[in-house]
Amino acid sequence: MSPTWLGGSVHVHDDPDVESAELAVRLSGGDREALAEMYRRWSPLVHTIALRALGAREDAEDVVQQVFVAAWRGRATLRPDQGSPAAWLVGITKHRIADVRTQRYRTHRNLQAVASEVVTEQAPTHEADWAERLLLVHELERMGDPRATVLRMAFLEDRTQEEIARTLEMPLGTVKSHVRRGLLELRDRLKEVERVASD
Amino acid sequence: MSHPTDDELVDLALGEPVDAERSAHVATCGQCSATVEQLRRTVRLASGPVSYAGWQAPDDAVWARVAAEIDADDPPVAEVPETANAASSPDVAAHDIRVARDGARRPSRRRTAAWAGALVAASLVVGLLAGRAIWSPNESGSVSQVALKTLDTRQREGEASVVRTGDGLDLNVVTDRPLDAGDGYLEVWLINADGKRMVSVGVLRPGETGTFPISQALIDQGYVVVDISKEQFDDKPAHSGDSLLRGKLPA
Repeated sequence: MSPTWLGGSVHVHDDPDVESAELAVRLSGGDREALAEMYRRWSPLVHTIALRALGAREDAEDVVQQVFVAAWRGRATLRPDQGSPAAWLVGITKHRIADVRTQRYRTHRNLQAVASEVVTEQAPTHEADWAERLLLVHELERMGDPRATVLRMAFLEDRTQEEIARTLEMPLGTVKSHVRRGLLELRDRLKEVERVASD
Repeated sequence: MSHPTDDELVDLALGEPVDAERSAHVATCGQCSATVEQLRRTVRLASGPVSYAGWQAPDDAVWARVAAEIDADDPPVAEVPETANAASSPDVAAHDIRVARDGARRPSRRRTAAWAGALVAASLVVGLLAGRAIWSPNESGSVSQVALKTLDTRQREGEASVVRTGDGLDLNVVTDRPLDAGDGYLEVWLINADGKRMVSVGVLRPGETGTFPISQALIDQGYVVVDISKEQFDDKPAHSGDSLLRGKLPA
């Protein structure tokens, strides 16, 4: 409950995963400064997802507020072993966005005059994946090199592993290993989003 | 036959060459094919077109709103004694807080509404207390004090102290520099540690030290969070929700 480093010296890590895990532990221990740090790091991610999903800035900012308040109140459900709390926050974000949509639907249903808007507001088929897509963009940006570069070339540029190895002058085995570790890590993030969002 | 390793499943998901026997197993194993599908979905989502114009940070005010909401539900330091007065059973307030917690509505407005109800109830208490304001005249002096800080950056910008006087208790509020009341005015509140009830203790003029008579009973009942809010001249007696400084008196 009260880890020794709470009041002690500040640890500095180069590894973003270690830092994130430490933030997760601090938050679940009730450290408010950890929440502030999480807000600094991930409120743009949460806000961008909400903005993309809801359109209106005021609604998006309401979602951001609700997500971080919910993160504080629900800090016991954060699993520090899942690495980055970003996926956890994105899971909560999906919940809140769904709430706002439900409310909007009710409002619209009550205002028959705007029936036409209901139709235009219907989400495209892949709309639901936006939260996940943006989380992955964020994770790739955050991931250190050379893994990030390898993954970007593999996924975004659709290059074969041999090509990547030649371009980066890297042994094929190393490229393979980065792709494998990286993809499994990204998959784990999505699983965490799913776990939280389906609660 | 044992399941393929994660690495082999990744290769399979990416279409890299994999041992034929292994891939035959995956085709018949629900668990393995689910993993391969998850990995393929990950690749699809990571490689899809992402037309976002960079990250967009929310307005700075949003963090202040988060901090204020969390402050309001700081757990009470001690159990507030259940007394048979109006303020201890604010059904309206309790209900509203619960609604706010489910997160489906905009909590700040809900809470303001709750406070409006609680304010009426709490005013009754103050009235009752004033009626029996017979104090054992202890010696004068400071009883407790607390730094008043901004909600977002927690920067110290003032101080509140409870001082015993001949007649009872005074709450003194002073800010390091004059607060900006904009078009409105500054109001000083005592918020209950339960986050559900509050009383207005008076109006603070920017740059001046405010002295407000309060009672020991108020403190004993848990009204220990000193709050300075910015209010508009809008005929609404409830807290505006726009808190500038806040501090919790030590028990």
